[in-house]
Amino acid sequence: MRRPVQTLLPALTGAGLLHIALFTDTYLRYVKAGLRPLLLASGAVLLLLGLAAALSRGTGEGHHGHDHSGPPRIAWLLLLPALSLLLWAPPALGAYTAARSAAQPLAARAKGFPPLPATSPLPLTLTEFTKRVQQDASGAIRGRTVRLTGFVTPAPAGDGWYLTRIIFTCCAADSQTVKVRVHGTPPAPADTWLAVTGIWHPGGTLGTRTAPAELDVRGSTPIAPPVNAYTDDLPVTPG
Amino acid sequence: MQKTDEPVGVREGVAAVPFHPPARRVRARPLVTAALPVAGVAVVLLLGGTRWLDQPAVQAWRTVCLAITVQAIPFLILGTLLSGAINAFVPADLFTRVLPRRPALAVPVAGVAGAVLPGCECASVPVANSLIRRGVTPAAAFAFLLSAPAVNPVVLTATAVAFPGEPAMVAARLLASLGTAAVMGWLWLWRGDEKWLRPALRRRPAGHEHGHAHGHGRWTEFRLGFQHDFLHAGGFLVLGAMAAATFNVAVPRAVLDAFSGTPWLSVLFLAALAVLLAVCSEADAFVAASLTGFSPTARLVFMVVGPMVDLKLIALQAGTFGRAFAWRFSAATTVVAVAAGALIGGALL
Repeated sequence: MRRPVQTLLPALTGAGLLHIALFTDTYLRYVKAGLRPLLLASGAVLLLLGLAAALSRGTGEGHHGHDHSGPPRIAWLLLLPALSLLLWAPPALGAYTAARSAAQPLAARAKGFPPLPATSPLPLTLTEFTKRVQQDASGAIRGRTVRLTGFVTPAPAGDGWYLTRIIFTCCAADSQTVKVRVHGTPPAPADTWLAVTGIWHPGGTLGTRTAPAELDVRGSTPIAPPVNAYTDDLPVTPG
Repeated sequence: MQKTDEPVGVREGVAAVPFHPPARRVRARPLVTAALPVAGVAVVLLLGGTRWLDQPAVQAWRTVCLAITVQAIPFLILGTLLSGAINAFVPADLFTRVLPRRPALAVPVAGVAGAVLPGCECASVPVANSLIRRGVTPAAAFAFLLSAPAVNPVVLTATAVAFPGEPAMVAARLLASLGTAAVMGWLWLWRGDEKWLRPALRRRPAGHEHGHAHGHGRWTEFRLGFQHDFLHAGGFLVLGAMAAATFNVAVPRAVLDAFSGTPWLSVLFLAALAVLLAVCSEADAFVAASLTGFSPTARLVFMVVGPMVDLKLIALQAGTFGRAFAWRFSAATTVVAVAAGALIGGALL
């Protein structure tokens, strides 16, 4: 009875890893793009391990009483992530997580900002927009029409809703949220990806922390969710 | 079938927590018995519906749980491969010849040697296990276990990147981690008891670590060792990931700010957070950097405790070394790590 387990668990785990990293981009819902080669290698090693266990016969394997016989019962838990990856992968973190986390504090910035390009509407990331509002003493952002992209997170109280992005450094367990509050339209359903154009919603002193990262919306269009949702990048194609 | 994976595991997880001595017990249990709870949960799900599994909170839990598991598996495999290789190919007396003969000296040497294992904490548990099986004194192996995930170049580089312009933070992390590892090694020499370890790890009459005596080739031995270690540690990894994901999803980050006011409270709070969040040691510097409301010392403590004690590590250690060991060792390590972090942080930051 042991052989099937020793074959099944590594092989399914390996297949799950290869499925999310080789055949699809699902792995980007959980970890960094840079982990892909390691995931592929791990998947291959586990498949080989399962194969080797299936092929090896009658070497007395499992018949001596030390540690290496039979799989421990706890190993059955591996079935969960394996089947989940293969059949029923959960989506990337979204509005639920964003609504429950505070906005990520900005890193201190030593140098001044370069002048803003003249394009209008000006595409900016949520982080870049927040920095321009709270750290750029020249106030270059005032009155400019900008274009931001992200997904919708309903605000618990007050006017408007949040345009949000979730970013992380290692895996989805250390996620952080970037948010910009949007005024002027009713919110689309949570987790809808939007490109929003608008101008800064005045308040506080521009260029300091008292200035809110908020936007008066002029228009918004739905966009396709990016393959890697955990970035705060400019969209490749205008949509 | 495809809707049954998650709850099955949750039940299984609860059932599997008590750790039984391996092998014999398992052998007596036919596959049918193991499959029964699975079938039972499947029936419950079919009757009760699966819609709750697509609730946002449950989805977020599953995502975080999978993220921790997927992130850790490559490093776990690296560690188990290395540990399998040590078991099968390294002569039994190599480590005892290389390390200083006196255990009290071997401890700091092993702690510094932790710098050569580039990876996170999941890799170091199986390696430390195989070191003990190769005759390294447990105190030295534990110093290695604690220091390896914290002082290797990958983690120190990540720390330098996360705290730009604050080289003192990198130095403080290095010193506090090495200090904690050495103190814990000495503490084991002074107060440790091999009774707490799983029987397979207790010191035996020299010369028969398992393996070569059983008549298969080294490659077979290597494969069997790797297979067992992976299945074993992998199961505990999933258990730890589920615990950490539960905390991660259940407690909103906004709660953190409530604790940042009092200095000593914030140190203790971030130490507890490091244990509960179970962030990989390669990433914890970035998390620490984002906790801007807290003092540098509190953030240092977060980075010293995190790689040494967290939910998934406790689960991994309980599986590898035994539960009696895991809780004592983790509790003592937390105290020592908080003290070392507070001392060094107070001096350097």
